[in-house]
This record gives sequence, C-alpha cells and structure tokens, in this order.
Amino acid sequence: MTDAGPAITISRVVKYYGDVLAVNDVSLMVDEGEFVTLLGPSGCGKSTLLRMVAGFIEPNSGDILLHGKSVVGVPPYRRNTSMVFQDYALFPHRTVAQNLAFGLRMRKMPRPDISARVTAMLELLGLPGMGERRITEISGGQQQRVALGRALVVEPAVLLLDEPLGALDFKLRKQMQSELKRIQRQVGITFIYVTHDQEEALTMSDRVAVMNAGQIEQCDTPERVYRYPRSSFVADFVGEANLMTCRVVATQGEIVRVRNQSGEEFLARFNGDRQIAVGEEVRLVVRPENIRIDSQDGLHGTVEDVVFSGAMAKVSIALADGSHLSVAVPAGNALPAKSARVALSWDADNAVIVA
Amino acid sequence: MASVTALPDRTLAAARPAGSGRVFGLAYVSLVYAFFYIPIVVIILFAFSGRSIPALPLEHFTTRWFHEALDDRQLVASLWSSTWIALLTAVMATAIGMPAAMVLAWRPFRGKAIIFGLILSPIIIPQMVVGISLLLLFRYSPQLLGTIGIVIAHTTLTLCFSVMIFYSRLLGFRRSLIEAAMDLGASEPRVFFEVILPLTTPAILAVMLLTFTESFGEFIVAWFVAGFEETLPIAIWTSLRFGLSPKINAIATLIMIVSITLSAFAQFWILRQTRGKPAQPRP
Amino acid sequence: MSTVDTTAELRAARDSSRARSYMERQGRWKSVAGLAPIVVWQIVFFVVPLALLAVYSFWRLVNYRVDYTFTLYNYLDIFSNRLLLDALLLSLQVAVVVTIVCAILAYPIAYFIAKKAGRWRTLLLILVIVPFWTSFILRAYAWKLLLGERGFINSGLTILGALDEPISYLLYSPVATSIGLIYAFLPFYILPLYTSIDKVQDSWLAAAQDLGATPMRAFFEVTFPLCVPGLVVGAVFTFIFAVGDYVIPQLLGGGKSLLIAQAIVLEFETSQNWPGGAALSMVLLVIILAILAATLRWIRMEDVV
Repeated sequence: MTDAGPAITISRVVKYYGDVLAVNDVSLMVDEGEFVTLLGPSGCGKSTLLRMVAGFIEPNSGDILLHGKSVVGVPPYRRNTSMVFQDYALFPHRTVAQNLAFGLRMRKMPRPDISARVTAMLELLGLPGMGERRITEISGGQQQRVALGRALVVEPAVLLLDEPLGALDFKLRKQMQSELKRIQRQVGITFIYVTHDQEEALTMSDRVAVMNAGQIEQCDTPERVYRYPRSSFVADFVGEANLMTCRVVATQGEIVRVRNQSGEEFLARFNGDRQIAVGEEVRLVVRPENIRIDSQDGLHGTVEDVVFSGAMAKVSIALADGSHLSVAVPAGNALPAKSARVALSWDADNAVIVA
Repeated sequence: MASVTALPDRTLAAARPAGSGRVFGLAYVSLVYAFFYIPIVVIILFAFSGRSIPALPLEHFTTRWFHEALDDRQLVASLWSSTWIALLTAVMATAIGMPAAMVLAWRPFRGKAIIFGLILSPIIIPQMVVGISLLLLFRYSPQLLGTIGIVIAHTTLTLCFSVMIFYSRLLGFRRSLIEAAMDLGASEPRVFFEVILPLTTPAILAVMLLTFTESFGEFIVAWFVAGFEETLPIAIWTSLRFGLSPKINAIATLIMIVSITLSAFAQFWILRQTRGKPAQPRP
Repeated sequence: MSTVDTTAELRAARDSSRARSYMERQGRWKSVAGLAPIVVWQIVFFVVPLALLAVYSFWRLVNYRVDYTFTLYNYLDIFSNRLLLDALLLSLQVAVVVTIVCAILAYPIAYFIAKKAGRWRTLLLILVIVPFWTSFILRAYAWKLLLGERGFINSGLTILGALDEPISYLLYSPVATSIGLIYAFLPFYILPLYTSIDKVQDSWLAAAQDLGATPMRAFFEVTFPLCVPGLVVGAVFTFIFAVGDYVIPQLLGGGKSLLIAQAIVLEFETSQNWPGGAALSMVLLVIILAILAATLRWIRMEDVV
C-alpha cells in the first residue's frame, strides 16, 4: 500500500441507467490518505460514482483503478474498499461486536485476532464494552459509529461514505463531523465522502469535487471552491452567491475591468484557463458577505428589504439595471433604512468571473 | 432495527366520546364476529356433550368422543396421512416459492407480469376445476394418484400465496444489508446464509405454517386425485354420508384448535413483517 | 431509529434503479434458475391440465366410451338440457345474492376495523381471518349442525319455547347454501374493502369538513369513491368463489336443486361422463374469465393474495 501514485484513479467513467445519463465522462484522482468529498444535489451522480468504486455498479465505459490496478469487473466482495451506508445497513440479527467482526470473518481471520481487533475498534469508536449490545438497543449516533467501525476494521484501501450523517440530527451531525475527521487522521485511510450538505463538505474535506448533472464541475480545496468557484453552479451550490452579467472592458492579467448593464464599471478577477477577450459578456459572482454598503461611490442601488437573522442581517438591494443583490451585514453594524439610496463596493479579488 | 409501526396515530378517532353511532357500530361488529365464531363454538360444545346426537340441550361433559375418535384406526390413519401430505406440501411450496419470489422482488426483467399471472391464476379457478383437470392429467400416469398426487395438487394451490408472502417480505428487504455484506467480503452464498436467510426466517415459518394448514384441511382437490388414499377431510366427508357422528366433532375440535393456533401465530408474524393485511386462505 | 428507516425508504424509493444494481451485475441465468421450477410446475400441473380439460370438452361420451372426434355436442347439450341450465342459472342467482349480502355485511366491518378500531385493529383483522384457515369442510359441517332439523338453532329455539316444531326448511335449501356461502366468503370481501378504506387518510376527511362538507357529505365525496376498487374486487372474488363452490351446496343445499358444481361432480363421478363434465367446467371458467376481464382494471395484484 506504500506504492506511490494515487489511491484511486477514476478515468473517463460513463454510466447510463437505461437512457438516463447518470455519470458523464468523469475523471478524478484521489491521493493516499486524502479526504475527498463528492458534493452535489440529489441526482447529480455522486452516489452512482461512489457505488461504481465500491463495485455495486459497473461503468458503461471508462476505468477505475485502485492503487494502479483496474477493478472494473471485480465483484464488491473482492475489492479492498469498504462502504459506510446512509442507512448504516447494520445487520439487525447480529450484536455490535458481530457486526464489527463480519468483514474479518469473511476474510477468514483467526478468532483471537478478530476479537482483539473488534475490541480495539470499539475503543477507537468510543464504545468500549458495548460489543454485546443488540443493534436495536443502541442510539442512532452509536449505530453510526458502529457502521463506520465495521467498514474501518477490515483496513480497506479506501473508505467510501455515502451520506453517512444524513440520518442524524443537527447537533449530533456536527459532533460526528469532527469525530470522523479525527478518526480519518488517526487511521490515515483514504476517504471518499458523498454528501449534498455543502457545509459538511467544506469543514471535513481536503478536496471537494462539486458535481452537477453527472459531471464534476470543480475539484479543489474547500477554500478555493468557495472563494474561486469555476461555474455559476458551483458558486450557487456552495454558499450564497450574487450572480451578475457584465461586459469586459479591459483586462490586465487576472484582473478584469467590467461594465454592468447600467453602465457602471468595476474590477473583477478571472482564474480560468482560457483567455478572456474585451467586449465578451461574462458572469461573475460576489458573495453577500464581501459587499460593502457604506462606501461613498461604486454601484448605486435602493434598499428593498432588510431581514434580520441572528449573526447576520440580510439586505436586499435593487440595482439601477433592475437586478438584485443580496448583502450580508454582520450584527452590530449599522443597517440602512428601507428605500434608502446606497452605494456598493467590493474588492476586485472578491468578484470572481465564472464563465 | 426495522421499526415497524403497525398503527398510525388514531387517537383522535379513539378518543371521541361514545355516541349512539359508536354503540350501534360496536353492536354490529360484535354480531358479525359472533357469526364468524358461533359455528366453531358449536362444534366444540357438541364435542364435549354426552349426547350421541349433536343437538340441544347439551348433556353431561365428557371426553368420550375424543377417546373414541383417537381409537378409530381409520380416522387416525387419515390424520397421519393428512399431516404427512401437509408437511410435504409446506416444504415444496417454500422451496419452489422462495427463489421465485427473490427473483420477482429483486431482479428487473421483462415479462414479470406474465410470470405473476401464471403464478397467481390458480386463485381464480374454482378448486373443483383444478382437481378435475389434475385428474385428467393423472389419467396418463395413474401411479401418481394418491399421496403424491395430493401433494402435487396442494403445492399447485398453495404456491401462489407462498410466492406472495415471500414477495412482499423481500420487497421490503433492505438491499443495503446485502450490499454491506458483499462489500465486507461475503460471496453470494455467504450473503444468503449469513444475511438473507436469518432475516427471512419468520417469513419462511409463516409460509410453512400457512401452507401446512391449508393443505391439511383441503378437501375437494384431494378428493379428486386421492385414488385410494384417505386424508382426514376425505374421511370426514365420507363419514358425513352416514350421518352425524360425535367422533367427528371431537376430531374437528382438535384440528380447529391446532390450526387456529398455528395460523394466528403465522398471521401475527406476517403482519409484523409486511405491515399489510393478513394472508387469506383459499376458499 | 425511525429516522433511519424513513431515510432508507425514501432513498430506496428515490432511486430504485440504484438499489437494483447489485442484482443487475449478476448473470441472467440466476433469474432463470430462480423462476424455472415454478414456471415448469405451473405449466405442467396447472396450464396443461386446464388445456386437457378444454380438449376433453370437445370430445363426447358414446356408449360409455370417449369418442375422440371434435364435437360441440356437450356445449349444445348444456343449453338444451333443462337440468343443467337450471343448475347454471341457480348458481348465478345464488352467487349474486351472496355477493350483495356480503357487500352489505362487509362494508361496516371493514370501515370499523380501518377507522374506528384504534389499537384493536390488528387483532380484529386477524380474528376475521383466523377461523377461515380451519378446514373449509369443517366450517360447512358446522352449519349443518347449526341448521339441521334437530340442530343447534332448531333445538335451541324449541327449548326456549319459541318454536313448537322445528323449522324444516332451514337445511337443504338454497337459503342454507347461501348462508353457508356468505359465511365462507365474507372475509374475502372484508379484506380488500379494508385495504381501500385504510388508504383514506383522516386528514382528507378533515379537509373536506373544513371546506364545509358535513361528515355525511365528506363520506360520500371522499371515502366512498376511494373504496370503489375495494368494493369491485371484493365482489368479483366473492362471486367467483361462490359460483364455483361444491362442498357447501352439497352439504347444506341437499340434492333437490343442484348448483353447477354439483352438476359437474355428478357428470364426473356418477355418470362417468368426463367430456360432459369438462364442458360444464369450461362454461363455468368462461363465465369467471368474462367477469374478470370486465373488471380487470380495478384489480391490482396485492388484492389477489
């Protein structure tokens, strides 16, 4: 397992369900020990991709390599991957310890070794002494841990997690997020994590792959995905975003001068691979928390609505060209009055051209 | 794990104050349930009555008819033969029905409706016609008439609900359990023995109990294909030709107590497993 | 715990094609292996015998031997033979009466179990079914004990002084047959009705009443239309079972007015006229299939078993 190179290579994988294209030419590499999250709305193909890695589904074309070896056509029980299921899939007719031991038994490990490993795993999960409990007798959070432990105890090359925290309530989910991250660091196993919860993806992952309509739109560190979204979908799905359509007036390296429909000009940033041309129409994203309301000049607009929501107040502003912007103002700062005329501004770095 | 909440919240309906409508409803329901159970109670009453004809008034309590029934060699022989046939039928219906239900519930394929039609259509054919047509078939191999013929006939009759009970249980089976087992390294036979079989044991027991009960009491089809074999229902039918005998009440009481107990257990199992309606017997 | 199950179900429902995938990757031969025994069984022991029955019905009994040439004689005979025609008509008549009475008796019971029984629901449901897993022949026999000239009802009423002499027509009449058939098939009406009434959510009724419907109006606007399928399915099966039954008319109806099933058995057992009996059976089957074909769109698989 020490061989260099990626733990998983997904190469140009395509999967159809009947006529429906579920995964459309996806490629992804995951390094040894990395925590990668597939993030996207339901139906985007993230679970299908995960299940192809697990071996429950075979791709129509493309290849999947585990440590450099193709696993296409290898049944799930001969792949060195383990999965944590959304509904946990704990065997209801077995105890906690029997569930943990299942994979080891299938691998024909000697009994004493199995019980030693199970005991150690119970320890790691923070469930010492719970081995003889029935699955129905433990709480949802504990079931979640057992499901995780059952998959980890066989020391898989890759751990696949299919929305494992989806069934937990908010508080428990927060707690399990940090727990998962701790365990992942401790065991050093590669994790592929599927979720539709962007916050979960951002807090836990080394890299986030945002999926939409069967494709990976962007795969990057959480910070870069948030700050420099590559597409309006990514911008919109990860966090809140104001999308604007502008025309390019001038370019200078990554910094671009644009003009909006009412003729106001400002600076923006472009991270794309291609060249951007003067006169081109582009879409750009500004996060609500990056907009300043108190500036002297900039874009002019009228306050339409102010909604208070705890740590932030959300101010909705109508621009001269008829579009709307949403601005987040931290609590404690002065809030503009309704119908007030205001000027808005932001740093060039925070206005990101997405296409 | 499977939290089967059988009853949705009905407290509203239950908490309503008792009006005249409710009293009337309760009275009506009690009457119909009495209608269901009086015939059974009557047989049991007469079985313990000292009179040698089944008529009122009941006379002194006796177990004499039970002794006489169990001393009647022919009757007891038919009892064993029925038990035997029912056991074989239960095994056959389970062994053939369960794999079919697994395929029907879990695997996509074209023409499923046709297979279902083939499996379920014996229900709509009068049993007598099933018996007659099997008799026509066995004319070409008369050595099958008798025990084997009855087992074949009863298996044909009971396969439909064997398949349907398994089918509804397996539809609700969480596929992720199978996948988890495979993911952890269990090959397909191991998945079957380690996960599927233990979790469907209640359904298997229910099917075996119900098919056993059904076969045990079935008369008309067995009658046609029995040859010289005499099952208990056939023995009862034959003895009815010679008038009512208290021995019949005694043996009937025994059968009813056993089959009511068995099927009640099976029904509770089925309801727990499928949260649906209870399986109904063939008429 | 329940959240786990709910999400699991939602997920399964959302993406059933995904759930199937484990099976999808297996070879087709496993489907074939699982289904082959039952398909072969049903063909050999159900389809072929019925085909034989059909073939027999076009042969003819001549001088106590079967003449293997195609003829419609048996069918023509049924419609010219007063006795057989009467049996057929009486069977249809009895079955219609039984079906209607069952519908009237079953509806309130099904409604009560589904909507008013509260925590007794499961128990009541099982109590409907349990007696009917006991031998059919014993249940028919029980009614003989009840209805006989010196049976439970007559001797009971005589002892109570309500009767001077026993009512002789209780047993061995189409009335006795009908009572026996109603008793035997009432559960088959109750269950499909129960299923369809159970599907009517209390909140729909509440909504109807909230929008101004009286409880009575709400029942006729919401509940009743939704149980029409249950009514039809119950009727179809009760009718089919009642029209083809042999044991009850034979035990309770006596030999004076035959029903079609008794006529069929007479042909087979007494007259040894197998082609004639086969033709009568075919007529019975055709009637049943016609009823099914007419009502097929109401019938779903889960009502059948």
